[in-house]
Amino acid sequence: MKISLNWLKEYVPDIKKNDIFIEELTSLGLEVSSQVKIKKDTIIDIDMTPNRADCLSILGVARDISPLYKKKICLPKSIKLIKAKNNIFSMIERGISPSYSVLSIQNIDNSIPTPEFMKQRLTGSGIKTVNFIVDVLNYVMLENGQPMHAFDKDKFNGPISVRFAKKNEKMSALDGQVYRLTTDTPVISDSKNPQAIAGIIGSGDTAVSVNSKNIFIESAYFTPTIIRRSSKNFRLQTDASYRFERGVDPLLNKYALERVLFILKEHTKVGNYSLSHSSVPKVAKHIGNSISVESDLFQRSLGVKITNSFIMQTLKYLGFNPKKNKSSFVVKVPSHRFDIQLPQDLVEEVARVYGYNNFKSVLAVNSFNNIQAKSDKNDYYSDLLVARGYNETISFSFIPSDGQINHMQKSQIIKIINPISEDKSEMRGSMINSILSTCGYNFSRNNNNLKIFESGKTYKKHRDGKVTEENILAGAISGINSEQNLKTDQNELSFFDLKGDLISMLPNLSFEANDNIKYISKTCQAVIKQNNQIIGYCGEPSSSLCQQYSIKNKVYYYELMMDKIIHIDNVKYKKISVFPKIKRDLTILVDNKILASEIIDAVERKLFNYMINSKINDIFYNKAEFGKDKKSITVEFIFQDSLRTLIDNQVNVEMEKITNLLMSKYKAIIRT
Amino acid sequence: MSKNYTSLISELREKLKKCSSLHDIANIKSFYLGKNGIVSIEFNELKNASIDEKKELGKSLNILKNQVQELISLKLSQAQETKDVDYPIDVTLPGKNISSGSRHPISITINQITSILGKYGFTSVSGIEIEDEFHNFEALNIPDTHPARDMHDTFYVSDNKLLRTHTSSVQIRSMLSNKAPLKIMTPGKVYRCDSDPTHSPMFHQIEGLCIDKDINFCHLKGVLTNFITEFFGRDMEIRFRPSYFPFTEPSAELDIKFRGKWLEVLGCGMVHPNVLTNVKINFKNFSGFAFGLGIERLAMLKYDIVDLRMFYENDISFLSQFKGLK
Repeated sequence: MKISLNWLKEYVPDIKKNDIFIEELTSLGLEVSSQVKIKKDTIIDIDMTPNRADCLSILGVARDISPLYKKKICLPKSIKLIKAKNNIFSMIERGISPSYSVLSIQNIDNSIPTPEFMKQRLTGSGIKTVNFIVDVLNYVMLENGQPMHAFDKDKFNGPISVRFAKKNEKMSALDGQVYRLTTDTPVISDSKNPQAIAGIIGSGDTAVSVNSKNIFIESAYFTPTIIRRSSKNFRLQTDASYRFERGVDPLLNKYALERVLFILKEHTKVGNYSLSHSSVPKVAKHIGNSISVESDLFQRSLGVKITNSFIMQTLKYLGFNPKKNKSSFVVKVPSHRFDIQLPQDLVEEVARVYGYNNFKSVLAVNSFNNIQAKSDKNDYYSDLLVARGYNETISFSFIPSDGQINHMQKSQIIKIINPISEDKSEMRGSMINSILSTCGYNFSRNNNNLKIFESGKTYKKHRDGKVTEENILAGAISGINSEQNLKTDQNELSFFDLKGDLISMLPNLSFEANDNIKYISKTCQAVIKQNNQIIGYCGEPSSSLCQQYSIKNKVYYYELMMDKIIHIDNVKYKKISVFPKIKRDLTILVDNKILASEIIDAVERKLFNYMINSKINDIFYNKAEFGKDKKSITVEFIFQDSLRTLIDNQVNVEMEKITNLLMSKYKAIIRT
Repeated sequence: MSKNYTSLISELREKLKKCSSLHDIANIKSFYLGKNGIVSIEFNELKNASIDEKKELGKSLNILKNQVQELISLKLSQAQETKDVDYPIDVTLPGKNISSGSRHPISITINQITSILGKYGFTSVSGIEIEDEFHNFEALNIPDTHPARDMHDTFYVSDNKLLRTHTSSVQIRSMLSNKAPLKIMTPGKVYRCDSDPTHSPMFHQIEGLCIDKDINFCHLKGVLTNFITEFFGRDMEIRFRPSYFPFTEPSAELDIKFRGKWLEVLGCGMVHPNVLTNVKINFKNFSGFAFGLGIERLAMLKYDIVDLRMFYENDISFLSQFKGLK
């Protein structure tokens, strides 16, 4: 809310320096976010929190700061009005307006110019000047917070109704728009048509012009939730609706008219006038409520002893009319405070006047906690990947519409009902889109050597409507192993670089050929298992998906389901043998179709004495020598005994067993 | 009987001075220290000496031996250092397979925050991102009709499912399942229907919650003032000012003075009695404080990042600048 500082000073006369005053406002919770000097005045912009509707005016702000200056504010001059015997209402829907006032004035001269000071204050607050009467209404709204609306009585047919709109009613409003009203739109109407959307905007047809002679000025309390709903429906927020939906003082509407009348009479010719007023006994829930606060609540909540007199003073200036009992304070909730319901609310009132910065800082660390700390798996594996040269990325959980239709069932995709844009309209069902999008972005910037990972969630909808989230760690590699390497040391990254990185991270992984993941190419796809449980997938992304992200570079992708990974957090020490190891190589020729893992599995160490390890050492193909369906594999075996030094013969016996097994099982031909 | 070996030593010095190759030095070494070397020969004299003489002679022989050893080994090490090499290595050539891996600045910031708060006794808890209205709004004292919902432009995925607008929903779930006392921090992604240079539809938050007996406003200030100092690594000018959140009362905002301007960095307050009631904690026995801050905001301040979008573009040239941080 933008307001004139000079205007505010009229009600807080003791202000010394602007800067100090602005700090005081901020320390009370009325944060001044900017200030602009205009001529001799300063316009300050207060960021008003939604609970403080009572401060959406000069008087409201002045009242809020009055405990600091210990001066009660005086209301500006007005002309007392007495309710006329006959009112001009045909019906008032109480749900819309529990308290409704109208001042009708005859023979007013609206052709006079608006006084210069008034214009300046209005424009300073960002309100356009229209004509004298409208300007006065806006001026008084800025002064005390009551929005009002004037109708040209000569264009208004018959008595006033406050009601919900009927089906198919329309209204062409002051802003030039035609609004189609619905049965939950609150309106002010004459005997025929809606002449205002209540609390939001008036109709152009009955608007007051410089030629208007006879007028109605409406000043009402509208139920905040109804105005809010209507303002949301029409996506229309006005200075009036902004105040009404937050809560205008329900007892203010009559005084506001009295103040308007005073100003009108001060400046122009005013004929006869009369007040129509209609109100239910209890205008709003909070009015008349009293709250009792135990005296020690202040210290218990705030940690500091605050004197009773400070509490009394503060609550008095803020309008709470406090009384002190033996062990408690009893206050009356003032009509302008919609936000005060509980004792704790009064603690805040006292605390903010005391000054948040005047409380001590006490660091209490050693309290008991029902939740024990767990080790963070994600963080652990992320650090391991970083050590192997991976950059961590973070992408939006949203992906473009239809970005995953080719690899997900339509029924599983979670769509956002109100997306911010087409390219962020679905929740990702897998990480592949995020990872490829990052790859594509970098390739297009000539960052061709990538090792990336992202840990995040994927989202899926199930048949029963349930929504699940899965924690995934995914990534990709592309390009050469390290740019900084000398040419001779550079290598194109391959599937096996990826596999090496994953096994370094999680030593007990196994990889098997796979083809059921749609977004990974069938010819280069593996399922990743840990203890025979599937924990992830890897391989080359499908070519159609690469095309979708304009990727031509070779990319290898992986994803791990973090919730399925068994995190190794304990080992048992095994005794180390002190006797020498013996190493033997065996080179065999086998059928191409036989997988490396089959050979290693076949020579499993428990089948043979003293063998402690075996691994594939070399593999090569030579069409000319072996034919195209054979390959040469070299397996390295390590033997060791825990009790004595092995002799050659002991190892020879085992190697012969191994050779025989491979020959019989895989028709291996021994090459050495 | 002591014996003077000065001439023997000076002779050795002369010989060593003249030779330079490792081979020559080795010859000298065996000439003096070998099995039948000069020193051994001198030691043979001990056999002929009387018991009294042996004591004296033994002493001077040992000194001789030490001296000879010292001189020769000194010469040897000198010779080794200056030994000619065909191609000395160029240590300035690049190392192999240098890793340029890095954590994302958001993760780094979260780690820094959680390690500070961890010291104060907060435990990290995570939760779901697709929430219902109860855990995201109602339990937090934000009814449907409340203008406070305007502060949260919410993405919906169905009638009652939404993308959480803050990680407070995790606090609600934790309080419901773990009861008081508890002290938790909840880092994670949150979503708001908002996009401009200073707002992103997805961003990261961390919230802290402490519920125990006799927790008051001074404890809230204690955690946050210490946290800010530790996070920025220096005393910062800070201020607390009253603010409004439906789930805290009193509510506050913490601003820091940054390059001469007050910047809002976090919101906080004492947990609202209605919230405690909603999670079945008796507010007569327990009280607590809560705070929430935007990770991107702090990361931008700390690393001088001016454009919020950099965080999600994942340009490697940007990411690798955070190498070495954890």
